[in-house]
Amino acid sequence: MEGQVGGSGEEFAVGCLLSIKTTLGDEFDGQVMAFDRFTNMLVIQEGLKSGPRRNIRLLNANYIKDFSFLGQADDPLDPKKCFLDLSRLQAREHLAVRQAEADAQRIGVGVTTEAQNIFDALSKTLPVRWDKTVIVVMNEVRVSSPYLPESVSGGTAAANERVKKVLEFERKRLQARGSSQG
Amino acid sequence: MMNLQQVMPPKSTANGFGRRRGEREGGTRLESKSQSGKSNSGRVTTTVIGSKSGSCAVSSHDKLLYLASCLIGLSVEVQVKGGSVYAGIFHATSDEKDFGVILKMARLIKDGNFRGQKTVAEFVSKPPSKNFIIPSSELVQVIAKDVAVTRDGFANELQSDKQRELMIDSLISQTRHVEERELEPWIPDEDVPQLPELENIFDDPWNSKKWDQFETNETLFGVKTTFNEELYTTKLLRGPQTEELEKEAARIAREIAGEDTQDLHLAEERGSSIHENLGIDEETRFSSVYRGTGFDDSGYEEDEDIVLNTHNNETFGDSSGSVDQISTDFAIAKSSDGGQLSSSSFIVDEAQTSQSDGTGADLYCSEIPSRNFSTLDSESRVQENLLGECGGNNDAKDFVEKQPLPEDAQLPKSGDSQSSPNREKAGTIKVGRSANATPYSTSHVLSKGNEKTSSHGEPVDVAASCKAPGEPQSVNSRGRPGSSASSNSDRAAATSASSGPGLSPSSSMGSLSSEKSTLNPYAKEFKLNPNAKSFTPSQASARPLSPVADNAFYHPPNVSAVPHMHGLPVGFGMGPSLAAQQPVIYPQIAPMQSPQTYYHPHGPQYGQQMLVGQSRPVFYLPNYQPEMPYKGRDY
Repeated sequence: MEGQVGGSGEEFAVGCLLSIKTTLGDEFDGQVMAFDRFTNMLVIQEGLKSGPRRNIRLLNANYIKDFSFLGQADDPLDPKKCFLDLSRLQAREHLAVRQAEADAQRIGVGVTTEAQNIFDALSKTLPVRWDKTVIVVMNEVRVSSPYLPESVSGGTAAANERVKKVLEFERKRLQARGSSQG
Repeated sequence: MMNLQQVMPPKSTANGFGRRRGEREGGTRLESKSQSGKSNSGRVTTTVIGSKSGSCAVSSHDKLLYLASCLIGLSVEVQVKGGSVYAGIFHATSDEKDFGVILKMARLIKDGNFRGQKTVAEFVSKPPSKNFIIPSSELVQVIAKDVAVTRDGFANELQSDKQRELMIDSLISQTRHVEERELEPWIPDEDVPQLPELENIFDDPWNSKKWDQFETNETLFGVKTTFNEELYTTKLLRGPQTEELEKEAARIAREIAGEDTQDLHLAEERGSSIHENLGIDEETRFSSVYRGTGFDDSGYEEDEDIVLNTHNNETFGDSSGSVDQISTDFAIAKSSDGGQLSSSSFIVDEAQTSQSDGTGADLYCSEIPSRNFSTLDSESRVQENLLGECGGNNDAKDFVEKQPLPEDAQLPKSGDSQSSPNREKAGTIKVGRSANATPYSTSHVLSKGNEKTSSHGEPVDVAASCKAPGEPQSVNSRGRPGSSASSNSDRAAATSASSGPGLSPSSSMGSLSSEKSTLNPYAKEFKLNPNAKSFTPSQASARPLSPVADNAFYHPPNVSAVPHMHGLPVGFGMGPSLAAQQPVIYPQIAPMQSPQTYYHPHGPQYGQQMLVGQSRPVFYLPNYQPEMPYKGRDY
């Protein structure tokens, strides 16, 4: 839905303290850091304080349903202190991506929460990975849905046994925990 | 969609440089702090002054770009038109008229279709998107947390990044859901026998009901103990005076504990930390062994010396302190039993005299060991040391006479009268050594004695007296007076009593020690007189101290070579091998409690069990090779 851009540019002067409601139901307060009328993007710093780290929102002003003016303060962004270290940014990004990929490995796609829990529990002590919806332990033992001790197959007898045991234990633990929470 | 360009920090002054397209167009001048080689690879932009947005000197677009750049690499959430929210890593934004966003590894976390749902169903339906593009038409907002936008923030971020790096392992192994469970108090099993007193006893430190483990054990399991504390420790005398004694003991303890000390570790224990000097690292403070300056293994000697010397001094009077090392050991032996020492020293002397090599000390020492295993049982080791020490003190003693040490005790040449009592003992005592006694390190003790008497000249006399076989007696006589003259007449007497030719150890030692380097030039060679009368100490002169009981003699096993035996202030003993030729004159001092005079018929040949004529058990030293040069204490 395209809302009307609220007010003229002055209303979004840098430093304004505003309370905003979006068309999607978000409400928040913040201070204007920047407003680009050409893209209609409003950059708001959440909270009324400025510190080394801030929560920032880039909001498309079209989606502002309502706002109110809380006050006027100085520019929260001190131009003298603004630098960009591109390489650092890129490094940060690479790192984040790597981590995300690793994380992603651990999440089974199309598996139930329970399965994911089991996977997580197993991963504490055994090397596990997902193969579609099958948990592969130590690259040899496979645990498929519904992830019961009976569903364990493959691998050497010893490995199999071990996985079964661990699986049972973890299931019990999860159940106990679940029931206590439930 | 444009890739993000390098953004230049907003500048307050405009300067029209390269306009590319429109006022706000263009790449931005890169200002990267780092070594990016790509500086300025981006398009240069202009800063627009007086843009419509008002007075800000920096174009708002620039600011937007800048802030967007700050998000690169951060995990952000992007809300799209439908209400769905995606989380991913901010990768790029467009720099066109529209503001679109590219995320990496994005996943849906909130599905707009299921309004009201806080978090996405945990059922993950598809893997994260490697690159997820959100066009401007879809974009509602981008939410990022903890963004560093200024220099301070960057520093801050770097720091926490580093911290986070270190945590990677734990992060990785963490489960995705941190589930906590409700804690419940522990309830013990029903079938475990519970001791009702347990709670009281252990919880309350002031509980008057004392916990008796044995009692409990017996009650619970029927196990009867045979533990008797007194088997393992001294029996405590508890009587009417117990409390008094305890108080006294506590007082003394407090005193000691409250003492000042320079030792770091002690200070630590006592709680009086002297850590003004912050340069002291933890290892020094709590762990390492203190090594004083000049510390070395022979430090033991020094300490011993000090201790012993004082003892020596007490017992025998100060003699020249020349002999330090050996004296230590000897001193030890000595201190433990003054009287004993005298005999020891005596023996040392003998040893010395017997030694024929140039190093008197060596000889001395070597002699001693086998012989002088005095009754100082406890001190046997000490004696050993002393003897060992003996060897070390070569400087002192180049014995003029290098006669083989006869079995008899040789009177240390210490001129001190103290020695005389020792000399008494031996018909066969070789007195000649006495003169040389002083130089013996082992004769530290003796020297100590000598010191007091300060009669370096005396040794000569003694030596002389020692010379003749018959002399011992005379020596004795001389010694007697001498000894009495010395401060430790008592001891001397005792010594003499026990040790035969009244060579008090101290005296002999003293003389030895006092004379650092030269043998007694006047000392005559000692020749064993087989017919010499044996010394019989008078009953009265029995030494007061005889720590070693009659049967407490040391019986060293037959060892082939005991180099460190040099310094042994053997109380008495006879090298078994000594018996070979000359009649060994066993001290026939029945009541003698201290080590008896040692007659060494041969040279220092210790090794076999020595048979003393008496019923006393006899010391015998392991085979000692007298010729072995003693190189200092080694133990």
